[in-house]
Amino acid sequence: MDLVRHLRYFIAVAEELHFGNAAIRLGMAQPPLSQRIKRLEEELGTRLFDRSARQVRLTESGRLLLAEAREIVARVDRLHELARHGEDTVLKVGVPPDLAAAVIAALVAGFRETNPEVRLAPAEIWTADQVTALAEGAIDVGLVRHPVSAPGLQFGEILVQLQGVLLAAGDPLAGVGEVHLADLAGRELLMPPREGEPGMHAEMLSECRRHGYVPPQVHQGAGLGLVLAGAAVAFGPKAELPGLAWRPLLGSPITCRVSTAWRVATAPMNELVGDFSAVAVRTLKESAGMTDEGAVPARRISRRPGMLA
Amino acid sequence: MIDRTERTTGHHGPDFETLFRAAGVTGWLYAADIDSGRDVGHGADEPLPTASMFKVPLLVEFCRQADAGLLDPTSRVTVTADDRVPGPTGISAMLDDVTISLRDLAYLMIAVSDNSSADVLLGRVGIDAVNAMLAHHGLASTRVSQSARELNESMRRDTGHGWPYLDPDEVARLSALDPARANSSTPREMVRLFGLIWRDEAASRASCAWMRTVLNMQVWPHRLASGFPYDDVAVSGKTGTLPTLRCESGVVEYPDGRRYAVAVFTRSFSTALIQPRADAVIGTAARMAVDHLRR
Repeated sequence: MDLVRHLRYFIAVAEELHFGNAAIRLGMAQPPLSQRIKRLEEELGTRLFDRSARQVRLTESGRLLLAEAREIVARVDRLHELARHGEDTVLKVGVPPDLAAAVIAALVAGFRETNPEVRLAPAEIWTADQVTALAEGAIDVGLVRHPVSAPGLQFGEILVQLQGVLLAAGDPLAGVGEVHLADLAGRELLMPPREGEPGMHAEMLSECRRHGYVPPQVHQGAGLGLVLAGAAVAFGPKAELPGLAWRPLLGSPITCRVSTAWRVATAPMNELVGDFSAVAVRTLKESAGMTDEGAVPARRISRRPGMLA
Repeated sequence: MIDRTERTTGHHGPDFETLFRAAGVTGWLYAADIDSGRDVGHGADEPLPTASMFKVPLLVEFCRQADAGLLDPTSRVTVTADDRVPGPTGISAMLDDVTISLRDLAYLMIAVSDNSSADVLLGRVGIDAVNAMLAHHGLASTRVSQSARELNESMRRDTGHGWPYLDPDEVARLSALDPARANSSTPREMVRLFGLIWRDEAASRASCAWMRTVLNMQVWPHRLASGFPYDDVAVSGKTGTLPTLRCESGVVEYPDGRRYAVAVFTRSFSTALIQPRADAVIGTAARMAVDHLRR
């Protein structure tokens, strides 16, 4: 016999305490329902209902078994639900819009390898908007730039990407091997939007000032048109782009620090978020040249006579 | 000696020739990564007058004698009018007797290129000892044959008058500018000497550390240091200057820990004394060389 189906009949009758009403609720005729309850009673070796009076009543053992029957049916329903759900589980991921296309592709491919049953749905969102999207549950996990302060978020391992400078190919600095921030004096700077990356914005500009570079104007945007036109320079990882030159920055003063982020209370997705974090760390190290945070050397200031003279 | 230095006349090396010419000078240069030995040069083995850079081998021999207990660097001497040698800085520029320790004389000799300090130390250390030290390290083209006083007197003797020396014909016959007769070295050997100091091979570790400190306290910002105008790059060195001759040898230390010894010698076409471009090209050329070594 199909025990689970029979348990469903039992629950319906126990809740209605009326065979006719229960049959209507189950969409069947009353005689077969009575038949099946009888079969269940035979199967379990106990009477579930007291039919002696005009009213149907639960027997003592019927009352005891009802709770168990409900539990069993609920678990079976959950089993089916999970099985159905697993077929198209989606992990919604936020990534910075200026993350290299190849890196996004590597993330998706890497995650597919470890979790082939889950589809990764990346959305291009700046850090500040990712924080909001995480809080609202619009994304399950993000790839954010530090520093970022958001209570209720947890962060994965922080990775560091040393930034060089992108210049128009015709810039005189394109001819040297490496560029010091102070060499950029007089050049305008293109950065990601301040509202989108407030932490990184403040930190990078402060580092620029510290190293002798105060850009006369800071443009905001993700496209490199201004750089190509020779109207601005931009920081970024090593890249070979037509019409542009990339040069390392002497002393590696500009860094981009990223990690995954998720809501503390993301319980149902916890495992997937953990898997994604692991894939992200591996992928960013392999295809975006990122390193562990401790690997960046501290700055040492040279002492030259004349400073206090 | 086989010259394995990378040639800069090829297609890939920096164009030092054009750089020097634009600054109104003829230039010679050698630069090497102190730890890897990777190098680049432009007339690296040309014998050239060292002018005040002779004070570097003197500093080294001073330290070796201190290490050996032959002299006490903290012992005091009084420098009197008789000891005073013409010069624009330090004790040379002072009017009264100065009582000072030997090591503070060495500091003045390097930091402000004080001629009087140099000659008092040279008298203590001995010119033969300095040359023996150079020979010991295989620096065969580097020689100290004159004190600062003798160098000054040679110019007076050669021209029949004192400073300044602006007449091109007079400058052309200054023995002080003739490497065969004056204190002399080559860009390569000056770099090797600085490499010995930076690798703790010139004297004891403590003495080498002290020499690096003193060389880092040199006050002049217009030559080697001008090519590296950054808070996180350290530049140490010693200049040398005579009519039409401007040079500096030293060490440039980068934030990533890599360090480069560089020597740049220039002779200006003009005899004018004030030539900021001729000073600055020493820094520019050194930067170009270091940039090349870092690629």
